[in-house]
Amino acid sequence: MSLDRPGAQHVQSRLMRESLVDKNLLARTESQVSAILPDANVIQIGGRSIMDRGRSALLPLLDEIVANQPQHQMIIGVGAGVRSRHIFSIGLDLGLPTGALAALSAKDSAQNAYMVSCLLAKHGFVYLEAPFVVQLLPAMLAAARGAVFNGIPPYSLWEHPPSVGKLPPHGSDAGSYLIGEVFGARSIIFLKDVDGLYTADPKTDSHAELIPDIRVEELLRRKLPTLPIEPSVLELLTRAKLARSVRIVNGLVPGNLSRALAGESVGTVIRE
Amino acid sequence: MTEIDDHTLIPGLGRQLLDSSLNDAALMQLTEATPDYTILPWVNVVKIGGQSIMDRGRTAVYPLVEEIVANLGRHKMILGTGAGTRARHIYSLAIDLGLPTGVLTVLGTAVAWQNAQMLHYLLARHGIPFVEPEGFGTLPHYLMAWNAVVCQGMPPYKLWEPNPVKGRIPPQRTDTGCFLIAEVFGARKMIYVKDEDGLYTADPKKDPGSNYIPRISVQELLARDLDDLIVERAVLEFMVRARHIREIQFVNGLKPGQLTAALDGEPVGTIIYQDGGAK
Repeated sequence: MSLDRPGAQHVQSRLMRESLVDKNLLARTESQVSAILPDANVIQIGGRSIMDRGRSALLPLLDEIVANQPQHQMIIGVGAGVRSRHIFSIGLDLGLPTGALAALSAKDSAQNAYMVSCLLAKHGFVYLEAPFVVQLLPAMLAAARGAVFNGIPPYSLWEHPPSVGKLPPHGSDAGSYLIGEVFGARSIIFLKDVDGLYTADPKTDSHAELIPDIRVEELLRRKLPTLPIEPSVLELLTRAKLARSVRIVNGLVPGNLSRALAGESVGTVIRE
Repeated sequence: MTEIDDHTLIPGLGRQLLDSSLNDAALMQLTEATPDYTILPWVNVVKIGGQSIMDRGRTAVYPLVEEIVANLGRHKMILGTGAGTRARHIYSLAIDLGLPTGVLTVLGTAVAWQNAQMLHYLLARHGIPFVEPEGFGTLPHYLMAWNAVVCQGMPPYKLWEPNPVKGRIPPQRTDTGCFLIAEVFGARKMIYVKDEDGLYTADPKKDPGSNYIPRISVQELLARDLDDLIVERAVLEFMVRARHIREIQFVNGLKPGQLTAALDGEPVGTIIYQDGGAK
């Protein structure tokens, strides 16, 4: 709040003595952002939708990733799945707070990501914990054109309290999106077990129709009760500087990932 | 492929957690009614301002350190630090270089870390450790044995910091990081130590007609939609959703005794409270 602090020792800068909460000052910091890894694609492998199905779902997908390795750089985020559902159930019963649930759940996606990295190891992919994503990712992409990371962001005990209930709002979809946004990735592709976004849940409503392309504002307006990705991704998309769209494709259908990487219109694209 | 026995699930909600999408609005609503356990109900989270305290050097920091030491036998404290003027320098440099918000968070975290280290050096002779976010599992031990720990205030989001609504500055900084520590542990108090007596209707250093606000609800403060605030907006937004923290207190760290009074539960400075209590 206060701008002038005669007793404090300052370093000269445009933000010197400024309140970083001031709305007018924040608006003045709006400017061009450069993409750090513009050729990389972020690919998220769903926990419940892909990993929990085991080899029948995962191995063909990994073959497809390897087939695309010569043409495309791929940063692979992995989700948590059913073990997190179980520990949420226990944790909620024990009365644990959202931050504790987030810390626990991140271990489930870490396990899944580590398994994926073992299966891709002979092709040079390694699993990078968050500090190594910060430091080593470019080297890994240069060496192997790919790496695996924990889809759940490292928020841990510092996870945001959700607007409703106690479940952590930032899962592996949000974490994968944020990696795509911060690096200015070429594309962000979510691999799920549905063909994309539907007007209703296709698993329970036979009249549900696929939405191939939608703007995030329109999607937020529709207030669909269930989405194939975390609602927090939609909110993050409204504030995108670089990653202005995400694509949801069915990872159980061979060829979908390759088509998405090639820029073809498969599944659903959600745009800022 | 994967199944879980019903007997390892809590009734009702457990089955729903397995069968529904976690993105299902009805499921999120169901988790609202689950119980809350407080992990460290006796701890106080105290945030020491970066620009407001640390950047002033010994004239501000030494008396505050003395006051913290004097309270060690009486209150248990997690001491988080702000970033301050070096963060402002590196934010402006990084923005000029076209770097994204997540990178600014990595850079700003280093500044809060430096301030935490300095505070830690001054408190080290009293046994007080510096704890990284990864080491928070050791907090209960140090708090029991030595009554306080020092940590850097930034949440450990690194490159995963979400973009702000406007501009490029990370929206969740050290005020927010400390608030989230208090909320997740169900802390007794969240006290912000800054260089003002509290909240005013306008900047008291610029506007002599500004009025002091001793107590205000977070809902009313948000509704006023002020251009500038005493605390990061994210704190107010999270406070509305908080399940444990019912109020946060702002005291003037340049005035001896204010931190002690706040720790003792006296209404010094400004208190922002949740209307209707926590959820």
